Amino acid sequence: MKLADILSVDRVSSGHTFTSKKKALEELSKLLSKGAPDVGSGDILNSLSAREKLGSTGLGHGVAIPHGRMPGVNESVGAFMRLKHPLDYEAHDGNGVDLVFGLLVPQNATEAHLKHLAAIAEMFSDENFCRAAREAADDQALHALLANFKPA
Amino acid sequence: MEFANHMILLAAVLFLASILATVITPRLGVPLLLVFLIIGLLAGEDGPGNIHFSDYPLANLAGTAALAVILFDGGMRTRMEDFRVGLKPAISLASLGVLVTAAVVGAFAAWLLDLGWAEGLLIGAIVGSTDAAAVFSLLHNNAVHLNKRVTSVLEIESGSNDPMAILMTLVLIAYLQDPEAFGALDTLWMLVLQGGLGAAMGIGGGRLLVKAINRLELSDSLYPLLALFGGLLIFGFTAVLHGSGFLAVYLAGITMANRRLRAAASIRRFHDGIAWMAQIGMFVILGLLASPSKLWPVAGPALLIALVLILVARPLSVWLALLPFRFPAREQVFISWVGLRGSVPIVLATYPWLANLENAALFFNIAFFIVLVSLLIQGWTVAPAARLLGLQMPASSALVHRIEFDLPGQRGYEIVSYRIGHDSSLIGLRHKELPLQDVSRVIAISRAGRLQAYRDWGALRAGDYVSLVAAERDLPQLDEVFRSARRPAREAEQRYFGEFHLDPAAKMADIADAYGVPPPSGANDLDVRGVFAKYLPNAVVGDRLRLGDIDLVVRRMDRDQITDVGLRLPHE
Repeated sequence: MKLADILSVDRVSSGHTFTSKKKALEELSKLLSKGAPDVGSGDILNSLSAREKLGSTGLGHGVAIPHGRMPGVNESVGAFMRLKHPLDYEAHDGNGVDLVFGLLVPQNATEAHLKHLAAIAEMFSDENFCRAAREAADDQALHALLANFKPA
Repeated sequence: MEFANHMILLAAVLFLASILATVITPRLGVPLLLVFLIIGLLAGEDGPGNIHFSDYPLANLAGTAALAVILFDGGMRTRMEDFRVGLKPAISLASLGVLVTAAVVGAFAAWLLDLGWAEGLLIGAIVGSTDAAAVFSLLHNNAVHLNKRVTSVLEIESGSNDPMAILMTLVLIAYLQDPEAFGALDTLWMLVLQGGLGAAMGIGGGRLLVKAINRLELSDSLYPLLALFGGLLIFGFTAVLHGSGFLAVYLAGITMANRRLRAAASIRRFHDGIAWMAQIGMFVILGLLASPSKLWPVAGPALLIALVLILVARPLSVWLALLPFRFPAREQVFISWVGLRGSVPIVLATYPWLANLENAALFFNIAFFIVLVSLLIQGWTVAPAARLLGLQMPASSALVHRIEFDLPGQRGYEIVSYRIGHDSSLIGLRHKELPLQDVSRVIAISRAGRLQAYRDWGALRAGDYVSLVAAERDLPQLDEVFRSARRPAREAEQRYFGEFHLDPAAKMADIADAYGVPPPSGANDLDVRGVFAKYLPNAVVGDRLRLGDIDLVVRRMDRDQITDVGLRLPHE
């Protein structure tokens, strides 16, 4: 998988401050809907929220990967937000979250789509990568970092 | 006087050689017990040591006492919560399993060596039980991390199957000494007496011993000794009454481990040392007792018997004994493979000598050879076998140093120390930012070999030792805090337990919907916990349920309740 196929530069943003997990998911849904023009951001929010109800998608150490299946999406669609302040995301390790990667997969998701999700989770388990993502100067730099990531 | 000096020198040399061997052997992956045995063999009559030792009664005494101590220590390490999953299968293995093993090996040995059925069975009985010392030391080795079902079954089995093998050996020897006078009723009576008395005296004696330790006001260093000799008293008293002393000390140890006990940490530490000494002493003496020159003539048949034991008798007995418990196949294969024979067969093989049986030398040499083969082949390959069968779990608390102390005037609290590794993500945090339970608190930080004043604590650095006071029940969580911070551990954990967390109360239908996977039939209305209860009753941490392309993995349990579930995605 190449992350560049899933994530375009207009769906990467940084510097947000949210007061709640719900507000963060709303903003993320809007970003995601840029990559899925046929789908309303409200439907995306519903899908992501439904998944969060089964257990927080926080991976720990400040990263969360909200995800969901979506009718009307044919390929995996990603979006990334870097928050200015860590947000309480109910992650199992109790740490606040400041790196949020959202992923939509098609309604008839196949094994390949689940592997995208696994690859993204693996990418964010790399501590050096997370540090670089926190230090990247702007949205362009963030996108370049994400799109060019090669697992060690 | 000269004799005493020589004996002390000899004992010191043998023990020191054995202790130093523990430094090197873990790197080679050799089972330690084998090394002790070889040190004994080298010191013996055919080795450079050239010591002629053939005092079977003395070896029998040393072996029996050492076994009692090792079983007592093993019992004290067994937690009641391990019993939940391990007890019934282990008891089945320890009774039916030993019987089947002894019967198969016995029949083969009788046929191969052209012996009578009773003599053949005696060989089977002698090598019938797995070795607690060998199994404990292999499973607590840092190279092997298995789920609780496998470890608790193997440990409880190895601790509790010796009485059965000993009993069969004693019965067969009694029969062989006087076949006319020995009837079926005698056998049954011996069985009842050994098992019943052993169990009753063990549990009762253990409780009394706990009471004594908690009530008596003694000097601190006497509590471990009180525990040790209390345990030996339980062994001796039970055995004098013709009960199974081995079963009794093991149960007494378990009873003590699961009650509040004064000075528990120092008692544990003391027994750890004593158990080491017992293991080294026993194996070195048994090595001394054997002579390789007498082993060679029986090598051929003994090797065949060992192979039948490892490849036929043990797997068959494990399969039969575990039939009602529906163990996963790969766990059964692994349990079969860890049928390690150790000191018990060699100690038991001295019994025919004491009873003046005709073929005593043959029994001893064959049993000794079988133990050597078992330790060599199985002992050496436990870790690779676990990996091959996909049973290895990510390391749990092995990566942190933990030093336990007792707090005077308090029970259930300990002082523990952790080292902050170079790859720890706790580096840079202040002590107040550590996610700790309410009663746990940092009491000291030492840096570069010096205890730091409170005002100098600052942010944590690599190489710092952090000492905390913690409640005993918070220790697993504390381990987690200091371990989860290690990057390699985190990646391994994510691979094994899955990327995401699920609420155990989440509905199965919703999970199936979120990932587009088929829900298990008839499980749509159940939550995750319910599905595990239905498909994997007695689940342990690390158990998996396949759901289309994804796995649900039990991440954490509180007693028998699943409290955290991982979701594992397919990988490239």
